[in-house]
Amino acid sequence: MATVELKNIRKAWATAMAVDGLDLTISDGEFVAILGPSGCGKSTTLFMLSGVYLPTSGDILFDGSRVNDVEARHRNVGIVFQSYALYPHMSALQNIMFPLRFQKVPDAETRAREMADLVQVGELLDRRPSELSGGQQQRIALARALVKRPNLLLLDEPLSNLDATLRLTMRAEIRRITHELGVTTILVTHDQLEATTMADRVICMNAGRIEQEGSAEDLYLRPRTLFVAGFIGSPPINLIEGKRPELKLSGIPVQSGLEDSVTIGIRPEMLKAADHGLPATVSYVEPMGRETLTTVDTVIGPLRMLEAVAVPRWRRDEQILLNFDAEDSMVFDTSGKRIDGANVRLLEIPGA
Amino acid sequence: MPKQGRYWISDTTLFLGPAILLLAVFFVAPIFVNIVVAFTDMSQSVRFEDFPTTRQFNKLGKVNEEALLGFELRGSFYRALALTGTFVFFTLFIFNLSFALILALTTTAVPERMGAIFRAIWLLPRMSPSIVYALLWLWVIDSSERGLFNQVIMAFGMEAMNLRLNHPMAVIVIANGLIGASLGMIIFTSAIRSIPDHLFYAARADGAGSLAIVRHVILPALRWPISYITIYQALALLVSFEYIFLIMGPSRSTMTMAMLSYTKSLAPEIGGGQYAYGAAIALILIVIGIIVALVMWRLANMKALLQQPRIEVR
Repeated sequence: MATVELKNIRKAWATAMAVDGLDLTISDGEFVAILGPSGCGKSTTLFMLSGVYLPTSGDILFDGSRVNDVEARHRNVGIVFQSYALYPHMSALQNIMFPLRFQKVPDAETRAREMADLVQVGELLDRRPSELSGGQQQRIALARALVKRPNLLLLDEPLSNLDATLRLTMRAEIRRITHELGVTTILVTHDQLEATTMADRVICMNAGRIEQEGSAEDLYLRPRTLFVAGFIGSPPINLIEGKRPELKLSGIPVQSGLEDSVTIGIRPEMLKAADHGLPATVSYVEPMGRETLTTVDTVIGPLRMLEAVAVPRWRRDEQILLNFDAEDSMVFDTSGKRIDGANVRLLEIPGA
Repeated sequence: MPKQGRYWISDTTLFLGPAILLLAVFFVAPIFVNIVVAFTDMSQSVRFEDFPTTRQFNKLGKVNEEALLGFELRGSFYRALALTGTFVFFTLFIFNLSFALILALTTTAVPERMGAIFRAIWLLPRMSPSIVYALLWLWVIDSSERGLFNQVIMAFGMEAMNLRLNHPMAVIVIANGLIGASLGMIIFTSAIRSIPDHLFYAARADGAGSLAIVRHVILPALRWPISYITIYQALALLVSFEYIFLIMGPSRSTMTMAMLSYTKSLAPEIGGGQYAYGAAIALILIVIGIIVALVMWRLANMKALLQQPRIEVR
């Protein structure tokens, strides 16, 4: 078990900067998720932690000592890949025992079997990977990563190849196992649900940099940038660009000159049908089970509204009025940063 | 899974007809002709009076009740068999497999561009006319002090050697091997390239060093390509005589079965024209080839590679 520190890490490829000055500290036993769209540098970061890639500059520290020059095989890091990367010609048991082969562990098989029991694949150990389902392969891969008692467990999109139900189970399973072993874990994912449900702390990355880190609710309720506001939340936030006569901005510094060029964000579930407000025409209704997503056309553009009803309340082409509370709105400046304390409310439109 | 439909016969003919025709004309028919000729006394006049006759086979071996298999081989034929075995075995295992594997491993371990350049260099002799390749070898092993090999060893204070005279088998094994390794190299390289990157990353994270990765990740993935190259190259070498002839000529020291068959039948200026005799040797070579192929096919369990067709013909 170890604390992990990244100090001003950069990784440059021939044509692009994959990771651009990353600073991050992960404490012992913590479960951290690195969340971001594809190409944001999250997998590169993971490969630098594992020792597969070398950082262009900066330091990687495990328990305070620099490991930049330590080869992957000596870092004692376990990785679980999206593709599971099990050795196809070995049985499940041989796969789990493989890392122990290089540590000259005397009771390798006992330890492998214990780990297999922990991930609940004890009865599948004679099978080859091709004879196992995706979820079973995933568990074997997890056991293989954990059997050598790694300092650090790295999970690279571990659930992306599983079907929805299995993903739900494996989410809880991985959390249980890592908790039981107390291993420091870093999960890399583009799936916000995976990140927010499993991790103690979520680090949101974009274009090689950290946009924001914090708890799941920090990122959702208090995004500090337009990117985080747009990336976190499903269905995505409504974004309205530029000043609109229907909307009254407040809390923006007087001399800033930002009034005309801000971006306004309102989460779909914050929009409500009301007695008075913005006239809207229902253009699309999507029942999603527990909730209903309604897309409407308004003078400020199309908006998404999420309501906690199983039976749709509106029909296509129906005219409704929308409103929202000023404190539920967010305002971002031209550089994409959120303006603290700024919000927006709907002006009463005469005759509406 | 043949389905008895109205179009089954016509569709099968349409799909398999061209392939069957090619096989029949270029593979089955020559073998059949060869079998017939082998039991005649056809010589330079391309006529034969005696059929069937085992006269040609009597030149290769004679019945001997006391021998293990009921017959004993004549000296020259026994020698050809032994030379063929030596030639095939050493060329196959030292070069076509081991050296090809080393080339594939090293050229895939270095950066892609450099690897591609090295592989292209190893392919050059295959691309150049064989006569050019043989000529270069003749210069390299020239017995005078001008030969490249002799220049090199003399620089180390050794005496000039006549390789063609004193180490003829080594010459043809190396000359054939250096050119033959490129096929294995290409097949193995593509097999190594098709191993997912994640498997290498996983192995490194699991603590495997380079040798362990070769042993546990790469070699298992090469199991089928290695089996294939072994069978294919063994059969190819069995009947190969091109470079042997170009470098060594009709020398007795490198008279393998393929060479013997060739010189007896198709090299008139050096006593050829004994078509029936050549055909008899070729027939034995075909039988040996079939046995080698079947045994290796069985040993390597190549049957497991056969797949159900992916397109269904009615």
